[in-house]
Amino acid sequence: MTVLVTGVGVVLPGGGRLADLGRTEAGSLEPVDPRSRINRRGLRYKDRATQLAFCAAEEALNDAGLYAPAAEAPVRAEIGIVVSSNFGNLDTVCRVTGTIGAEGTLAASPMDLPNASSNVIASSLAIRFGLAGANLMLCSGATSGLDALSWGRRLITAGRCRQVLVLGTEPDNETVREFTDTPRMLDGAVGVVLEDAGTAAARGAVPRLTLGTACRGGTLADCVAVLAAHGAPARWYPPEAVTADVLDGLFPGATRVDLAQVWGASSGALGVLQCAAAIGWFDGGGAGPVYAVTGGGRDSAAGHVFTAPPGVAR
Amino acid sequence: MSAVIAGAGAVSSVGRSVDDIFTSLCGGRSGVGDLRVFDRTRYRAEHAYEMDDRPPGGPDVPLRTTRWLLAAIEQAARSGGLGDDLEGVPVLVGTGLRELRSVELRHRGAADIGPADLHFGPAVRERFGATEIHTLANACAASLSALALGADLLDAGEADAVVVAGTDMITESMFGLVERVSAVPPDRVRPFDRDRLGAVMGEGACAVVLRRSADARPALGVLRGVGINCDAYHVTAPSPAGMAAAMRQAYQRADRSPTETDLVMLHGTGTMLNDEAEATALTEVFGDRAGRPLMTAIKSMTGHTSGASGLLGLIVALRSLHTGAVPPTLGLENPVPEAAPLRIVTELVEGPSLSTAQINAFGFGGINAVAIVERAR
Repeated sequence: MTVLVTGVGVVLPGGGRLADLGRTEAGSLEPVDPRSRINRRGLRYKDRATQLAFCAAEEALNDAGLYAPAAEAPVRAEIGIVVSSNFGNLDTVCRVTGTIGAEGTLAASPMDLPNASSNVIASSLAIRFGLAGANLMLCSGATSGLDALSWGRRLITAGRCRQVLVLGTEPDNETVREFTDTPRMLDGAVGVVLEDAGTAAARGAVPRLTLGTACRGGTLADCVAVLAAHGAPARWYPPEAVTADVLDGLFPGATRVDLAQVWGASSGALGVLQCAAAIGWFDGGGAGPVYAVTGGGRDSAAGHVFTAPPGVAR
Repeated sequence: MSAVIAGAGAVSSVGRSVDDIFTSLCGGRSGVGDLRVFDRTRYRAEHAYEMDDRPPGGPDVPLRTTRWLLAAIEQAARSGGLGDDLEGVPVLVGTGLRELRSVELRHRGAADIGPADLHFGPAVRERFGATEIHTLANACAASLSALALGADLLDAGEADAVVVAGTDMITESMFGLVERVSAVPPDRVRPFDRDRLGAVMGEGACAVVLRRSADARPALGVLRGVGINCDAYHVTAPSPAGMAAAMRQAYQRADRSPTETDLVMLHGTGTMLNDEAEATALTEVFGDRAGRPLMTAIKSMTGHTSGASGLLGLIVALRSLHTGAVPPTLGLENPVPEAAPLRIVTELVEGPSLSTAQINAFGFGGINAVAIVERAR
């Protein structure tokens, strides 16, 4: 079964969109105001990661021709969600802990209760967009974004879902910067809609990218070896926080685009960001294949092959 | 689908092994006690189902959630014939609250942990040599959701064996916010009782080994199917329709009918909303046979072990199918009207021949996971 991406949504600082993922410098890093992107109803009391996820999801579902406001449509049990985020609710957890320590539980806000649960992003997306299929929240560290694509594909091949919204998001705030010892986090969200080629063709969806081989390995070298066996890529997206001297010898001849270097530490969002960047590359006439790698430290490693959508002669 | 459950392990407030836990539950022994781990002056609640293995008399220490997980995986892997080397074996960990307790301790200046400690991949890798580890943060449906994904990996031929686990400990933020929305903090979990006051959090970890085909060891049971979905309804309030849809999906994937089910491990958190919604969903799915299967809610003794609870229920179900003993539901004196058609046991039941069990797990955000297992033949 061939699984395709048929919709993509990108929400990045400075209003960055899909086409901007080819850039080598980010330019403006003005934080996105979700209220300027989507209907502000339902944004109140949602954490930053969830608000960003709402924006990217609406764009991705629209792009796939699957958007329907939940208030106006019945829930759709055949569409699932896989979200990857490692730090989405860290600020809520630390803030509430601080409040309780200082003033006791009566000083805490009941509106924080859903946000204290790590799955709040995935389930909030389901509610806002009426998507009642399998609903997964991955917090697996550096490999989590590419893993999310693989689990999304498996939900389709296992017959659990007809389409799956796969979304990566990480917020930028003081709590996360301090915890990760990172000067700047992504503060963005990226969503893609997956479906099998037959389903896409039957409903006339426009394919944007084909998901190729995915792999997991103990080390970066393990994943690079698996990907290299598929031939040389046109370009590749490396993991973040790996030094250039380690990366320089890998995939000789292929252009390396370090998305985290441009857009900020992306953690659980990186793999989905890499997939979106590959779509931007194919949109611009780029020829594939494109490889993505995440992890490589204590988290082991993940790799993925992305190829041009079917029907595109390149 | 069908996968063999080849090994199991568990630690909780009522025992540090599967056998100990099952003995405690059948004996009606609850793990509830005084709240010890937090500064009591900050809380109205006075009780929890803690696994208090902190240094005696000392403050809380980080990474206990991870330690419990490793203990449960070790028990499961050894009893499932995998030993301590899990190289090449995918490990799927379901959790509601990850290592957020350690993040809280760090926030207070009481722990030195980093981003790689927040999920469980690095620790599992360093202990067992596994390289494919996933942390699935699916709230209180987490470990059964992970079970669904593990079963799918076997079905697709991507692995011959997988370890599925669940682990959770009480965080201050969740414990405090649950208390914040309670009129009167409950002193224990009283599932399906009219006078229940809500959930009390518990702690524990558990794991199973799933295999595509039976090895030489006697199997603990057979996993027939897992249904997973989302209500897409409300962030904290459950929907009976969504729960019922997850149950039907589980039976469809198991190629079984609810009429064949002998035992239901209830989610039964003792919250106002869950118990009525769960009872309504069961009555709808089982129809005029709702009174046939035995049902029990072990959270009345383990507390709400969050993401670990579904798989813990499954492990207990396998022991019940094997022995014919079904642990009681404590504290259930006057059932809510919705539960009137159901046969929830309040005393230990011994002796019946039980073949098939359904296990429920429902989480915040309306995520549902339901598993169907059978006795090993």
